[in-house]
Amino acid sequence: MSADQDYKYIGKGISRLDGPEKVTGSAMFVHDMTLPGMLYGKMVKSPHACARIVSIDISEAEKSPGVRAVLVGRELPYKVGIYMIDKDILAKEVARYHGEPVVAIAAQSELAAEEACAKVKIVWEALPAVLDPREGLSPAAPLVHPELASYSYMKGVFQPQPGTNISHHQKIRKGDVEIALAKADVVWEAKFYNPPVQHVAMETHTCIAQALPGSQVQIWTSAQSPFTVRNLFSACFGIPHQNIRVHVPYVGGGFGGKAGIHLEPLAYLLSQKAGGRPVKLTMTREEEFGAMPSRQGLYSQFTTGATREGKIISLVAKYIWDAGAYADYGVNVGRAASYSGAGPYEIPNCHIDSLVVYTNKVFGTAYRGFGHLEALWGIERNMDIGARRLGLDPVEFRRRNVLRPGAKTITGETVTEHTGRVDLCLEKVAEEIGWNGIQTEEERAQAMAGGKVRGKGVALLHKAPAMPVFTSSAALLKFNENGSVDLLTSIIDYGQGTYTALAQAAAEELKMPIERIQVPWESDTAMTPYDWQTVASRGAFMGCKAVIAAARDALQQIKETASQVLRAPVEELVCRDEVVFVAHRPEECLSYREVVMGYSYPNGNSIGGPVIGRGHYIAQGLTHLDLETGQGLPALDWTYGAHGAEIEVDLDTGEITVLNLATALDVGQVLNAQSLRGQIIGGVVQGLGSALLEEFRFSPQGRLLNAGFVDYKIPTSKDLPRKMSQHIILTEQLDGPYGARGVAEHPMISVPGAIGNALYDALGIDFFELPLNAERVWLGIQRKRSETQDTLPGAIKLPRAIHLDKGGA
Amino acid sequence: MIRPFKYSKPRFLREALEALEKENARALAGGSDLLVELREGKSQAEHIVDVKAIPELSCFSIGKDGIIIGGQLTLNELAESKELGQTCPILGDAARTVATPQVRNRATLVGNLCTASPAADLAPPLFVLGAAVVVASKEGEQRIPIQQFFQGPKKNCLQPGQLVLRVEIPPRSTGRGVFMKKSRVRGHDLATINVAGWTNPQAGILRICIGACGPTPVLLTSSDELYQRAVCRDELLDGLATLAQDQIAPIDDLRASAAYRRSLVTVFLGRMVRILFPEEGGWPHV
Amino acid sequence: MFDETPQNTLPGAIKLPGAVYTISVEVNGKACTEEAPAQMTLLQFLRERLFLTGAKEGCGVGECGACTVLLNGRAVDACLVLAVEADQASVRTVEGEARDGELTLLQRAFIEHGAVQCGFCTSGMLLSAQSLLESNPHPNREEIVEAISGNLCRCTGYVQILEAIEAVGEGMEEGG
Ligand code: FES
Ligand code: FES
Repeated sequence: MSADQDYKYIGKGISRLDGPEKVTGSAMFVHDMTLPGMLYGKMVKSPHACARIVSIDISEAEKSPGVRAVLVGRELPYKVGIYMIDKDILAKEVARYHGEPVVAIAAQSELAAEEACAKVKIVWEALPAVLDPREGLSPAAPLVHPELASYSYMKGVFQPQPGTNISHHQKIRKGDVEIALAKADVVWEAKFYNPPVQHVAMETHTCIAQALPGSQVQIWTSAQSPFTVRNLFSACFGIPHQNIRVHVPYVGGGFGGKAGIHLEPLAYLLSQKAGGRPVKLTMTREEEFGAMPSRQGLYSQFTTGATREGKIISLVAKYIWDAGAYADYGVNVGRAASYSGAGPYEIPNCHIDSLVVYTNKVFGTAYRGFGHLEALWGIERNMDIGARRLGLDPVEFRRRNVLRPGAKTITGETVTEHTGRVDLCLEKVAEEIGWNGIQTEEERAQAMAGGKVRGKGVALLHKAPAMPVFTSSAALLKFNENGSVDLLTSIIDYGQGTYTALAQAAAEELKMPIERIQVPWESDTAMTPYDWQTVASRGAFMGCKAVIAAARDALQQIKETASQVLRAPVEELVCRDEVVFVAHRPEECLSYREVVMGYSYPNGNSIGGPVIGRGHYIAQGLTHLDLETGQGLPALDWTYGAHGAEIEVDLDTGEITVLNLATALDVGQVLNAQSLRGQIIGGVVQGLGSALLEEFRFSPQGRLLNAGFVDYKIPTSKDLPRKMSQHIILTEQLDGPYGARGVAEHPMISVPGAIGNALYDALGIDFFELPLNAERVWLGIQRKRSETQDTLPGAIKLPRAIHLDKGGA
Repeated sequence: MIRPFKYSKPRFLREALEALEKENARALAGGSDLLVELREGKSQAEHIVDVKAIPELSCFSIGKDGIIIGGQLTLNELAESKELGQTCPILGDAARTVATPQVRNRATLVGNLCTASPAADLAPPLFVLGAAVVVASKEGEQRIPIQQFFQGPKKNCLQPGQLVLRVEIPPRSTGRGVFMKKSRVRGHDLATINVAGWTNPQAGILRICIGACGPTPVLLTSSDELYQRAVCRDELLDGLATLAQDQIAPIDDLRASAAYRRSLVTVFLGRMVRILFPEEGGWPHV
Repeated sequence: MFDETPQNTLPGAIKLPGAVYTISVEVNGKACTEEAPAQMTLLQFLRERLFLTGAKEGCGVGECGACTVLLNGRAVDACLVLAVEADQASVRTVEGEARDGELTLLQRAFIEHGAVQCGFCTSGMLLSAQSLLESNPHPNREEIVEAISGNLCRCTGYVQILEAIEAVGEGMEEGG
């Protein structure tokens, strides 16, 4: 349990610092910005999933009124990306997905740009497309990237396989699965599927870029990570970092979709071609769905072996990711999911193969808890299926296998007293939903007579930040003349509440009122200190560590000046309530204000100087994973949790009503109670979207059919569970700020598993594919009704055949 | 982006009708469908004729001669009308299920019909109520039974130069109705299917209309005969289900498969009939 | 009813077919007269002509509510209204809610209840809620859910928004 410390700010439900700007409409998003002379960009997009560009005629478009620049892919000898540098800024010889930008035009108005786009004439030669990653693995499959061998990527971490569609193959090897499977009393197999979905941040991707003389670049962008945009931009164009200035004002949601780099290079190239006028590129909602990255689809498969006593001794898992046309960020999704890929369980023998496969579809990227919602859908359904095979209660089966202190994870990390308690999360949610075992077939049959049936289910979750080993944060605390403080950071608060948490830490450490701490809401690579990326639930963790260090540095500076004035050694000085004083003689004191800009003696002599606290934090002790075995230390911190769900199913329509959704997370320490609750509820509701509603639908030719809110539904205020509750476990993270660990992504993970397990409890039907929309559930009910003799407990029935080896390999 | 066009807001019907005679002229009332079409380039209108200042379209009356709903009446105005709620609640019930509160503050009942979507939520109630659409042109007024107004998916029977003035619902002394809709989410969504039923037991009338299950809403034929013949509710239900399955022609689309729609139709017919005829055993009209 | 000027004056003065109209509209209590082409939506008019960027475009087709403003007192999607249609009307945007720097009860409740995360949906959400509270000062949960059901929020999961609106409704009861 957490150290029982008396904090003034940490843990309190302090309201967002940016509340007033946001409720008055004055918060400025890139969406709202216009610059003098600004042009608007629009794009011509590929009407084919895979096609060769035979010719492009832009002559009419160039003459169109108001046009200032027309760009085609062939003029752009660049590749861009974060882990796998494989993205074209505009398609060059070949367009790799339906909706891929092919020509871009900057004009004086959006309308003029759009009209010019309509005048571009492209001759296409359609090519066979890879639309299913399982088919993409076949040696006969066309190659989405025949030049894969020539691409740069993060070496030592990723393993692309040129000559195939595999952009990365992550292996985890622990123990000997063959021997263990042979020893197991019970062995079962199951296969699952998650469709691609989208983040749906309410602000679509947008940026403004300006190419200035002397290869200087200014960028304003709705992005999660100004420094990563700058770094990747620099790598793409060979422009030195100091020449590129990236500004990020308020951002209207990210959820991973705005990590890495997206529209910035194209806007810059248009600006350059238009003689240096700023160019704004804003995605319409349709483009956001169809041309901006999504969450990759996943086919997963598990072979699990357990002893009669219910101890899992062997797990073989295979993950096949539908990366889409580019694996830019997606390779890391495949990697992260693999080292979490056995769930929060101790499994002595484990083999995981995670394959990130190129296809001719809109590409994937990070999405809140990336890889985990997808993998844990299968893992947690698999646990319930296994429990049934063993004749065990699903909660009890989990109890027997969860990671406990002393256990070793599948990458060889030892779980300690301070890693977090998934078992407590499990017990909490089981209690909250009144878990009393899975229903029998007789109980179900009885309930079904009423037309509506209820069921309960639980699912566990875990995740650690997926980030490079060298990930770091920095913070500056800059005192103002009146003794107030500006907190400078390049972490982006696109809604999570991070800035408020950072201000709380600063106020706590500097011993001053939080009202006197200001976090300017624009990060700027030229002004705010380095931060790698705002992703992976690492912002508050690493940012607070940097702020704490910066505060200590600032206090040291204050004390050094005060030490001379008060003629007392630094060690004897204490800071409290914006005053520095001698510990044993509090009346010997100075206010911060008297010191922070330098102290002036009555005769005019002055000492000290403007106080600027500087702090940093770099992830400690992480290692690369061994390429062959996956062994190593990938995790800064593990956050564990569980969901418990009670649902009601309408047997006639298949519609699910979520009656109760209880969530428990071991957060280590609460930094801000209000934003923690907001993150949990917001995440759970997003998880419900994945569980019940959301999926990309493609035509047989690979066209995205539901690129808009008419047919891509996200939860509205009417789609909430009847009851939701949030529960916090506090197992202090030793190196976490105040004992806290990251939690922004976790709430959405495993929501589908909890619902899917509750659905089995209600209906006695296993569902393997998401989303669990009414029609899919209805279909399952119809199948069961038509084959009732086949419902022996333990029988696994696939509603639709899913084969991981579709098309060969 | 919406391409440029000319806009006018005539105060006289004659002016509007003249303007609408031109090809590529479109009438604008609530705009919730038209503006989307314009933005998505599905309509190439060059002249938008705003009909919100024309007095002939503002009527709204509920009386002995039936219900008259002018072309300017928004869905929320209908949903909020207490009088309409008392006389004929299914219109408000259907109106409340359309899109979002913001859209319902603009979108009109007549506009909902003019878009002529097979899933139009206001269509099934108007079909079962035997409504007529009153259309004006320079030649004069014309009453078109609502079934004829719907010609196919997103196709109504209006010709250039015609404008819908109002919808008229004939008077009904007694009777009761039900409207039901199933969509993918509880929040705003198009109908996967929608159904309306209306009965006047004394007169032996039962009308059922099913939306989103064919190119236009399907008003079941021979439901009256079935109703008059049936000796108990279950028989009626079975008969209606068979009738419906014969007459609907749903398709597979993004919102649902045809099979699912068929199943929903039977389910919702059952639910509807149980509400229309709450008595389990005996049969009220025989 | 409109002065139709012969030429289009889109930003950058590109000549495109179409006509420009003079629009007189009361925005947040102040009368204003501006020119706009017929195809300009009320949302564009507010954002580009009047520089009131509180209302956002989240979809442009009436599905998300990020552009919600009050038109003659009623919540509408400004992306589905032509600017010319707002001639002679009164419009309220989020910028006009706070008076003399004093936040409204609802704005304060949004901040205090954690109803704001990224803030992109907030302007529209506030106006939908405000119009509810003005016509129904003590709404129940169901009415609140309905009133904001046309406003998508991807961040909050809505619960804290519902609580904020509810608190204002209850507060009004206490205050009489
Ligand atoms: S922008 Fe108007 S509803 Fe989405
Ligand atoms: S707060 Fe981000 S969309 Fe609502």
